[in-house]
Amino acid sequence: MPAKEIFEIRLLPPLVIGRLGSSEQPLDNYEAQVPENDPLGYRRLVGAPTFLVSTKTGEITSVTKPEVIRFRDEAKLIRPVCPFVEVWARFDKRGALVPLTSEHLRELDLKPADIKWRVVAANLKVSRRTGDKNDGVEANTDWFSDHAIKQLQGKSGNFVTNKFILFGSVRYIRPNPRFPQIRLRFTPATGKVYGPSIGARDANVVETVYDPEKGGWLNFFDGQRDTPPSTSPSDIYAGTDIDNGRWHISRGYLDDECSGTIEVEFTVRGHKLIAYSHFTAGPPTFAPDSFPVRTIADELEQIALGPNVSPADADQEKVIDIVRRALETVRLINTAVMNGNQGIAGLPVRAGGQFANNNNMAGQDTSYQRAFTPIFDPSVVDALAIRARHERVLMAVISGTPAWFLPKLRHYTEVGDLTDSGRRKMPGMMRGADALYLALTRRQYNLVKATAPTETDLENADALGNTIARGGSHGQKQ
Amino acid sequence: MAKNNKTKKQRQTTGIEPLNLSAQLSYRGAGNPPNSHPSQAISNCFPGLESDFRNVWRRIFVGLEMNEADTVVVKVEDRAPAELQNLLNKRLLKVDGQPVFVHIRGPHAVENPGPDFPEPQGLVGNLPSNTPASASISGMEWSNALAHVISKAGQAIECIFQGNRPSEEIRVQLIIRSFFDNEPGNETAAGRAVISKDLIRPGELSQSLCSPWQNDYLECACYYWAASRPDYVNVEPGPDGTSRGNNWIQKDQSTDAPRSYTLDGSKLLSYDDLFRAWEKLLKFQIGGKDSE
Repeated sequence: MPAKEIFEIRLLPPLVIGRLGSSEQPLDNYEAQVPENDPLGYRRLVGAPTFLVSTKTGEITSVTKPEVIRFRDEAKLIRPVCPFVEVWARFDKRGALVPLTSEHLRELDLKPADIKWRVVAANLKVSRRTGDKNDGVEANTDWFSDHAIKQLQGKSGNFVTNKFILFGSVRYIRPNPRFPQIRLRFTPATGKVYGPSIGARDANVVETVYDPEKGGWLNFFDGQRDTPPSTSPSDIYAGTDIDNGRWHISRGYLDDECSGTIEVEFTVRGHKLIAYSHFTAGPPTFAPDSFPVRTIADELEQIALGPNVSPADADQEKVIDIVRRALETVRLINTAVMNGNQGIAGLPVRAGGQFANNNNMAGQDTSYQRAFTPIFDPSVVDALAIRARHERVLMAVISGTPAWFLPKLRHYTEVGDLTDSGRRKMPGMMRGADALYLALTRRQYNLVKATAPTETDLENADALGNTIARGGSHGQKQ
Repeated sequence: MAKNNKTKKQRQTTGIEPLNLSAQLSYRGAGNPPNSHPSQAISNCFPGLESDFRNVWRRIFVGLEMNEADTVVVKVEDRAPAELQNLLNKRLLKVDGQPVFVHIRGPHAVENPGPDFPEPQGLVGNLPSNTPASASISGMEWSNALAHVISKAGQAIECIFQGNRPSEEIRVQLIIRSFFDNEPGNETAAGRAVISKDLIRPGELSQSLCSPWQNDYLECACYYWAASRPDYVNVEPGPDGTSRGNNWIQKDQSTDAPRSYTLDGSKLLSYDDLFRAWEKLLKFQIGGKDSE
């Protein structure tokens, strides 16, 4: 049915992440699949449909399915993650959202050039700290409708005249008959460090952009008078400690990361349609076959659906996914080190009057005046032992066992419990966004709770002299 | 006709119901690898890698701006009602009846002897109203602290702030903003899954991250982002059955490097190493082993 009008448009995905890399070849698409014959194993990276975009024309020329996923190109440069953002539309009040194509546009007497895009990207790391708006670095493409590469030139009031930081680029992909969808691609920067103009050459920076005569980033320090509250954690900028570490003096460095907004608009028969989405640029995923235990997707799901989970929504598969991600995280951590064991990893037991291995939660706890002690018994926290424990739990939930481990999970109100038993809850030895012990989202916790055995289950199991059997009163997918 | 049918079928199978937030949020986009999606982006942001997601909460209350990492008001909009104007630097304690702070419990250090932290006094403890969290309480992360009120967008809810004295409280009604760009009453916007522009502006998602970002690979106890920033790699059983392997950021990246995890700073990559050559020095890990 030809499109006669458009009720609304949206940009999907609503939030995408570009990842730095200086190769000119974007990272291919892939799936991170749990191997069927090895459910405790590492995910296999399997090639997925990948668009090849013509540098010259800006159109997709073909779609391939790579046999092997390569994270570097032939020159060993890292291939950046360059996500596409798509325009979706619904054509009547009750219809579904579908990808907007040039075919739809034609049916509406429009052409691709009628679509207008604007991308605003910024790096506000310096202005967040100094409070000087002129320290904000911003790129603005202004509205465009063509298919040329648009550089994201980040400019700042405190930069040397005509200097900028390149945040990468965006491109309105030219639709063609084979790939008619309306989309834009974000290509992030390469991950370079920029610095202040101080006369001497600094081998760490690729270019001097910041003018210390205009702004106060060079030699800034957290806690400086008349500046915003320090970030938490503080002192997380390239700098030099003075006065026995009391002050951390900035070397005036900036980077080419950014976050921003993509806007799209066009007018159909006098009716203007507008949509936007967000993007951010971060470092590569250096362990791409592993997924974090708590992610931004988990936050967004909680925001969208709320913290509570009804028994009817109990889903063992989701619990399996959470436990798997916990395994994927812990198997890349030196758990003995994170536990606060001493006399390991080439460190003495004590240095400067303190336990030397203290760059971990056991050490962080002392900032609350808690006594320094390892979190678990040091003799049981070797990485292979901890990994095996997680594997056993994962295997149990895969085989349908209800989540008997719920009491071992940290409730979100228990993050400040620094007693021995409190610190030993799961996720273990990890830090949350509030600097306290990491808890899952309330929704993640309640997903586990919804599949946990009930009191009746436990009583019946006791009566049978049995452990919790496969299935339960709820929690099994029907 | 056949072509039209195919097109119609194709559109149906690729459609997303406009009110289905989950479907929109989980959509990865054609051609996009999984690490472009928030499902592979850490959210225990202290401060974060891809973003400091805590920043999305700063303007969740109409008229106020909160610290992204603490429950303190850092700005009151000029046009905010008079009753909000005296909230600058005040600490938020409760939202809709639930606390947004936690008590710290545990054994004191030897130099501060005592069986446990003292029981909080007054509303939350002997806490001056405009200072960072003390050892006796700590602000809770926004995401879990506010999860119960996000569905009340547009409504006024009771919030309690610490007054100027420990036992003094300030009760105000604050309006919660829509988290997504789907303000109540706007039929066209219903079900939009994009974070509202009122909450986050260009640059703000990443403004409290390290500068430059490489600093985060060497800062405090950040190894719990291991799925993005590995720590213990090339792990294998040693002769005694315990693990042996390498520190991901050790200088010796050769394939025959001894499987000996070290925290000896002289054997680890430095800040300067990473500023200059992170792309060359850091290895991808596949199956827990050095790869590309």
